[in-house]
Amino acid sequence: MTVTAEGVSDPYSRRIRPFQRLKFDSGQALLVPAVLVVVLGLLFPLLLMLRYSFNRWAAGELMIAAFTLDNYIRFFADPFYIGVLLRTLWMSLVSTAVCLLLGLPAAYYLSRLKTRWLKTALILAIVIPLLMGNAVRAAGWMVLLADKGLVNEALIYAGVLSEPVRILYTGKAVAIGLVAVLLPFMIISLQTVFDGISESYEEAAMSLGAPPWAMFYRVLLPLVMPGIFSGSLLCFVLAMNAYATPVLIGGPSFHMMAPKVAEQALKVFNWPFAASMAFVLMAVTLALTVSASLALQRRYGRM
Amino acid sequence: MAGLAQSPPRFGPGFSLRIAAYFTFAIVLFPLIAVIWVSFFENKIIGFPPTGYTLKGYFNAWSLGRFHRGFVLSVEVGLMATAASLLLGVPAAIALARKEFAGREVVHSLLMSPLVVPGIVSGAAIYMFYIETEAFLDERMHVSLPLAGSLFGLSVAHTLLALPWMVRLVTASLIGMDIQLEEAAQSLGATPLRTFWHVTLPNIRPGIVAGCVFSFVVSFVDLEKSLFLVGPGYTTLPIEMINYLEWNIDPTIAAVATMQTLVIAVALMISDHFFNLTRAF
Repeated sequence: MTVTAEGVSDPYSRRIRPFQRLKFDSGQALLVPAVLVVVLGLLFPLLLMLRYSFNRWAAGELMIAAFTLDNYIRFFADPFYIGVLLRTLWMSLVSTAVCLLLGLPAAYYLSRLKTRWLKTALILAIVIPLLMGNAVRAAGWMVLLADKGLVNEALIYAGVLSEPVRILYTGKAVAIGLVAVLLPFMIISLQTVFDGISESYEEAAMSLGAPPWAMFYRVLLPLVMPGIFSGSLLCFVLAMNAYATPVLIGGPSFHMMAPKVAEQALKVFNWPFAASMAFVLMAVTLALTVSASLALQRRYGRM
Repeated sequence: MAGLAQSPPRFGPGFSLRIAAYFTFAIVLFPLIAVIWVSFFENKIIGFPPTGYTLKGYFNAWSLGRFHRGFVLSVEVGLMATAASLLLGVPAAIALARKEFAGREVVHSLLMSPLVVPGIVSGAAIYMFYIETEAFLDERMHVSLPLAGSLFGLSVAHTLLALPWMVRLVTASLIGMDIQLEEAAQSLGATPLRTFWHVTLPNIRPGIVAGCVFSFVVSFVDLEKSLFLVGPGYTTLPIEMINYLEWNIDPTIAAVATMQTLVIAVALMISDHFFNLTRAF
């Protein structure tokens, strides 16, 4: 225990308290540069783009100042763009579900692993690809799945196939690519929660005679729900906004939202439409994630 | 009652669980391993089995100006973004961790917001903002300040990317550190600056190192923001890679990808030495 100007302080408390003695006195001033950069560099441009989404576009000029909903109407009236949005949603849901299915055993195994070096190695094996960048990881799948890629060539060499099967540039390939990109996020979200669940729960259930699947379904699953929820949310949002995977693995005729936004802004130069598509994408993602959290909160209580 | 004599049944990871887990790890690692393997192929295009192994892919990659320049630009932008997020992020983290004030949560979420806004959305927004600002400065003030497609513009955008990681990791270090060390230094008469330099800084060094490594890495691999901000002859490595990949899949691009992987792996190994990586997420 130490006695300070503020009275008796608890040495074990990590509570943040006002640090009166340390005279970084204009303390909040330390925040100003960072806040300024974020406000000027991100929030202001976002507001500007929101305004642009109500402008009108004329070929040759970037845009004409206006206040119209035409761009949003055009998006929702065009079956092509509705299809792009639905495909994006579908790919995101599928890849999130697959990530969950694959991530649960992996994260559980990882968190119950007793061998220290193996655990560290596996965690690094999960975290390092996460930070590799999507260009490298997409390149990996392209090398594997192309018509003349490793998988086809190896299968032909082994005599399983007589001619290459088209895998790259299909929806399935994009789903595989997305799953591989998102899995680390799911595994890490789940593993941190599994780490916090004492093994004694499992032992108690098992010693009371629960078969492993019942133990998993009745005991572990409810406890790991917060991890499932945050991991799925993260994967879904990242899949909705994926760029490199659909562009490279899906090829030019596989359309998802993020590549379309970039195309409208950079190739067609239709800023108002690009802006409105960006906000449709954000709004749909936000609406779905918020309603999912509300529904889950009602079912499982606050997490 | 044999059951009672036994220790409680140990539910170790079962065999099928292990298979499922390693299958999942394989999916994550498989593409990386494939890229590294193919980068040593002798074949001009990918074939199986490889006709032989060489380092030709690496020489090709190095001799192609686009990858060479892309690599240099990515390193430059990464270093600029790291330096800027260090200068902006560490003071902000100190204020967030050591001060209690109204609206602290709001400021915190504001500083984290670049993580929440999708890269493609913020990239498009920053791109439009840059072009409009250039036009405005040119017309009204007769100043020509290239933003889109310039080192400065790219670095500012990448600073936004890096800043949340710096703030998050340094704040975590500050909160984890024993605050009484600072109080002791102060009560012995050290000035705030001296306290920071001799007491706080050495204690939060792991967080700062990790913050720098993460800042560099997220900038180095960024695609979505850079996509909008690169210019002709001024393109970062990941963008050069996807441009190349749209037309070719060969050992050369695999070599480029392997080199990028190597740079990042080394950076992460360094930071893991100081800071447990999973704590960053």
